[in-house]
Amino acid sequence: MAVIYLDNNATTQVAPEVVEAITPFLVGEYFNPSSMYEAARGPADAVVAARKTVARLLGQARPSEILFTSCATESNNTAVFGTIAANPERRHIVTTAVEHPAIFEVSKDLERRGFEVDFIPVDTQGRLDIGEFVRALRPDTLLVSVMHANNETGVIFPVDELSRITKETDPSIVFHTDATQSVGKLPIDLRGSFKHVDLLSFSGHKLHAPKGIGALYIHRGTRCRPFLLGGHQEDGRRGGTENVAFIAGIARALELATESHDEDVARITALRNRLQEELVARIPYLEVNGGDAPRLDNTLNIACHFIEGEGILFQLSEHGICASSGSACTSGSLEPSHVLRAMNVPFSAVHGSVRFSLSRYTLDAEIDTVIEVFPEIVASLRRLSPYWDTGRDAPTPEAREMLEQTEMPQSPA
Amino acid sequence: MTWNYSKKTTDLFMAAVQGKPGTHLGEIEDADGFGEHGSMACGDALRFTFRTDRNTDDPLKDRITEARYLTFGCTSAIAASEALCCLIEEGNFTPVEALKITNQDIVNYLEGLPQAKIHCSVMGAEALEAAVFNWAQKRGVDLTLLGIDISREEQEEGRLVCTCFGLTEPYIERKIEELELKTIADITNAIKAGGACMACHHTPGGLQDILTKVWGKQPTAFKELPVLPMAREVRAQPPREMSPFKFAKLVETVLDEHVRPQLATDGGDLDIVDIKDQVVYVGMKGACADCAGSTRTIKMMVEQALKDHVDERIRVVQV
Repeated sequence: MAVIYLDNNATTQVAPEVVEAITPFLVGEYFNPSSMYEAARGPADAVVAARKTVARLLGQARPSEILFTSCATESNNTAVFGTIAANPERRHIVTTAVEHPAIFEVSKDLERRGFEVDFIPVDTQGRLDIGEFVRALRPDTLLVSVMHANNETGVIFPVDELSRITKETDPSIVFHTDATQSVGKLPIDLRGSFKHVDLLSFSGHKLHAPKGIGALYIHRGTRCRPFLLGGHQEDGRRGGTENVAFIAGIARALELATESHDEDVARITALRNRLQEELVARIPYLEVNGGDAPRLDNTLNIACHFIEGEGILFQLSEHGICASSGSACTSGSLEPSHVLRAMNVPFSAVHGSVRFSLSRYTLDAEIDTVIEVFPEIVASLRRLSPYWDTGRDAPTPEAREMLEQTEMPQSPA
Repeated sequence: MTWNYSKKTTDLFMAAVQGKPGTHLGEIEDADGFGEHGSMACGDALRFTFRTDRNTDDPLKDRITEARYLTFGCTSAIAASEALCCLIEEGNFTPVEALKITNQDIVNYLEGLPQAKIHCSVMGAEALEAAVFNWAQKRGVDLTLLGIDISREEQEEGRLVCTCFGLTEPYIERKIEELELKTIADITNAIKAGGACMACHHTPGGLQDILTKVWGKQPTAFKELPVLPMAREVRAQPPREMSPFKFAKLVETVLDEHVRPQLATDGGDLDIVDIKDQVVYVGMKGACADCAGSTRTIKMMVEQALKDHVDERIRVVQV
């Protein structure tokens, strides 16, 4: 059975051009770029060239401002812990309620260690409350960390505005953004609209490079201590032998994303919108999470009331369709997605959320297949649900009352 | 993590969602036994009903002839519901005999369940218990005379330990013993307690304490946490001449008198979002909000008015 891959916010297929760029450093030029002999020149040059490319494509940053890491989680940890270590006189952090765990869990941990953290809330569409953001900034604020685009809903935060407000308040506050979902999908201009951003994280595998490579932009002059010690690599800011092949890969992937950006966006947007419109038209009691907010063009997060997402994913998988869910049963924890909870998605729907995320390799016919099979999957699970009256094709009266409830009631199990 | 279900589990699930003959989807009207477990908020819920062939002489000889379920939950929750109904119908049990079905029987019927999904089988066993209890009430059978104690009161009366899933100490303690749960992970897998906010894991009277109470103290290894640099005290701010209240009042007055009338002529307005020391945050409204070209001019105008009339150190940040 052919795989229909609609989980590109989780990871992406490696582009053939990227494989081509990587291969020489896996099969022949295996030398350590730090070595002195002539044979190591190729790998060393490749790292220099990749750094230049990445810097240029993020809006003419300086190559020395790009740090290669192993993943976005490492970039995020470096940004947060590096900033804390470099600024011991401050103890307050501002972030949002919907960050990826690589920031959210780190922030929770800092809170337990005595730092004060403000998690700025979002509205029902996932938009940040800017008034709350402004009021959270304090004289002892050390770090602001706000993601650019949300991995679950695709909702885009106005990082340009937020970073400007932060710097106009106090230039010594460090502004970090986790741009893992947006690099390659949205234009990033570190000398223009993002000029107030000090630190920016992303990874390769969300933009058709392999897993195991990430990057961190550190604006020149930003106070940030190294996170991984033990080597002079990356100007002493990150120890560890450079992953030459994948560094070449992430640069090539960013090049490809930039080259075909406009046509990719047009095509992906059309596909996503068609998927959304058709599913909304065919399925009653369906919510589009973040549908009214500025959103990534490739992401569709829907919530089906009165059913559980894991059973949806299982049946999608039977059709070869790969998607994700914010339901408790798929998360490893028994708690549904903190992002959807922060958006106050009614709990009758929060367990039934499904995320489709497209890429430039998504085909029209694949979207057709989803439109064809998805409504029946939802219907099949609703027939089994104690909250759904199949005869009337509507929720039971008892369940209808729950529709508006967003607070988790405390019920005996 | 990808699915790790047995073929039996996936077959039962697919048969159920496709409504194949022999599956047990539905709810029996005027059922002889009715039991529910879980809730939508908790992420899974099961409504289990059965019909009996009533024995007019002795209710204890009633035999379950038909079992049905409605389930809100994941693949394994639905498969476990099917398994429960199959087990009961195949066994030709009386309700009291049906009580012998344990969550392990359901797991065995499913040819195994992943550890993290064990609670799905427990949910089935709990709903069955509730339904038998319901049957006993309807038929006037006193189960305690048979030495069976499945009254539900313990759940409501004990001290609440897991607030996320509403589970009390007596309930958790009983389940730890019944299901031989040895670690916090075991508890979470079986009855979900401690699976969400995790606050009840190591608090006094929390899951670890209950485990210790039941099984005795286990040797524990402590992991050293890395030590972060300590933050120093924030330096005190130099005192401001004006109280924050008076300062804010004055800013508001100056905006009313000098700025808002000018903006109003163009159909615009502004809001104070916050004031921090001498930094005033204003948000544009109406026509001003959409006019990109004029924002710089407006910001400077507002800033100048406030500098002139309130404090020359004032800075305006547009939000």
